[in-house]
Amino acid sequence: MSTIAETAHKGQARRRVRIDGWRWGGRIFLLFMLLYTALPMIWMLITSIKSGFAAMQFPPQWWPDQPTLASYQKLLDPQNSVGQDFLRFFWNSLFVSMATTILSVIVAVPAAYAFSRFTFPGRNFLFFAVLLRNMFPAVIFLVPLFILMRAIGLVNTHGSLILTYLTFGLPLAIWLLKGFYDNIPVQLEQAARIDGATRFQAFVLIVMPLSAPGIIATAIYSFIGAWNEYIYAYTFLSKNEQLTLPVGIQRFFSENTTDFPGLMAASFMMSVPVVVLFLVLQRYFVRALTEGAVKH
Amino acid sequence: MTILTGKAEAPRRLRVRSSVLRKTWEHRADYAYVLPAIAVMLIVIAYPIYYTIELSFFNTPPGLQLRDKTFVGIDNYTAILKSPVFWTVTSNTVIWTIGSTLVSFVLGFACALALHRDFAGRAILRAILIIPWVISAVAASYIWKWIYHSDFGIIGAVLVGLGLADRPPNFIDSVSTVLPSLIVVNIWREFPFAMIMMMAGLQTVPDQLLRAAKVDGANAWQRFWHVTFPHVRNVSTVTILLLAVANFNSFIIPWIMTGGGPSNASHIWITHIYELAFGRQRWGVASAYSVLLFLILMSFGYFYVRALSGNERKDASE
Repeated sequence: MSTIAETAHKGQARRRVRIDGWRWGGRIFLLFMLLYTALPMIWMLITSIKSGFAAMQFPPQWWPDQPTLASYQKLLDPQNSVGQDFLRFFWNSLFVSMATTILSVIVAVPAAYAFSRFTFPGRNFLFFAVLLRNMFPAVIFLVPLFILMRAIGLVNTHGSLILTYLTFGLPLAIWLLKGFYDNIPVQLEQAARIDGATRFQAFVLIVMPLSAPGIIATAIYSFIGAWNEYIYAYTFLSKNEQLTLPVGIQRFFSENTTDFPGLMAASFMMSVPVVVLFLVLQRYFVRALTEGAVKH
Repeated sequence: MTILTGKAEAPRRLRVRSSVLRKTWEHRADYAYVLPAIAVMLIVIAYPIYYTIELSFFNTPPGLQLRDKTFVGIDNYTAILKSPVFWTVTSNTVIWTIGSTLVSFVLGFACALALHRDFAGRAILRAILIIPWVISAVAASYIWKWIYHSDFGIIGAVLVGLGLADRPPNFIDSVSTVLPSLIVVNIWREFPFAMIMMMAGLQTVPDQLLRAAKVDGANAWQRFWHVTFPHVRNVSTVTILLLAVANFNSFIIPWIMTGGGPSNASHIWITHIYELAFGRQRWGVASAYSVLLFLILMSFGYFYVRALSGNERKDASE
């Protein structure tokens, strides 16, 4: 916070008063947004290190008298039943998300390339059809998909989730990647082909490496989407051993209605992987996300 | 080719034919790139849509005995329009969608403007502001449920501490406050998306133009309105449409925080459809709702595609 104030101060010395008014307004607004964004997350962390008893007090303890990591220990301890469940849910989420990510990259890369480079009948229609898929909520597809999954015997398996996550991840993945391919000059491929490469070789050897940032972005998007998905997992899975984290912590909550510290600890641990992944790779992600829409 | 070579007829014909052949072959290859994507989409999209439309004209017995359905024509649709819940749910959906979209967009755009100029700590601040969008909506719902808790919630405690309330208010247990309270949570999760989009949009505004306007004596507001805004109009349209569609399709926050209650005050279309289908197992009515939803979203989609292809047309002309 002090850094913001300092910069503003320096600005004040240099600039005229009217501009500083806007700048100060901006700083105060950002401070407000920072509080709005961060306070709920801070409160989650503070609650997660309280004892169950300390959480149930009014007025609340702003900082716990006796901070404890008991909730985290319980969740991560494979010896007790809560820990067993939590670790299993965590592993399930990881497995489903990784599988979805790998498959969607494999499917989306060639498709996006085709949309970017080739003209074929129905190209525009297909591209917008792909986009339109993102407009329809999961709920519309739920009943028929549930029946379909039951018919092919995938209900209560992770396969049903991976298959459906692919469909909602693919459209945006294709869209994101197409933006990247559009920005890679065709001449590079043409040069490679003149040198004797086939179209496929040119694609694999020239275009793929250049689009690595886009592929990374697509992979993060798929992973975060799959990791956070709730509705399909909630509907398709009923066996405790198979639940993913979002559904798992809901079940945890319904069984331990008063254990808010435990729930907050679980929410925190569920958020860590995606937030870390996102923060490390956000440069690629933000660029890819906005590439398509920002063209003007 | 012929101009260059200007030679015999026969080789030329052969060349033409082979190039046609090659084109067809390449053409097929083009499809091969998209085919896996299309196959996945067809199975999991075309079939469900067809099935939903079919089911919307049938009545089904409770349970998943969907083979024993009976044809009822448009009864499901008329039943929906006659039901009073329909209007409650529809007005909730309108308030939820418009409220969440506009406030998220305005907050996100304002953040983008405030973050556009470089200052120490900007990158960290931006990263913090984005986090709510990345964490799971399920986690967000539980965090806010705890914050709103009617006995131990922190907002209630602050209000009581400041003497603004005698006892903590029931934010999400009371009909009058539940929808705004949920919208606050939704905005918390959505504004970072608008912020990201608009930050990227702002990067396309030429600095020279802004400086020129400044030299010409335009004040900050005039610079924004006459220089910045026209440059980000397209990205604004796309952002608002994406937000509107996402909000219209929300499920997790209302479902986990209130389950649509109290007395339907926070039920929106999507949660209502889910409850009809999987809660009360009225598959026919739920499907009819889905078909209506589908039609509404198609009109959203129409504007969406127009906004996007507007972008592309301008692209081509540049």
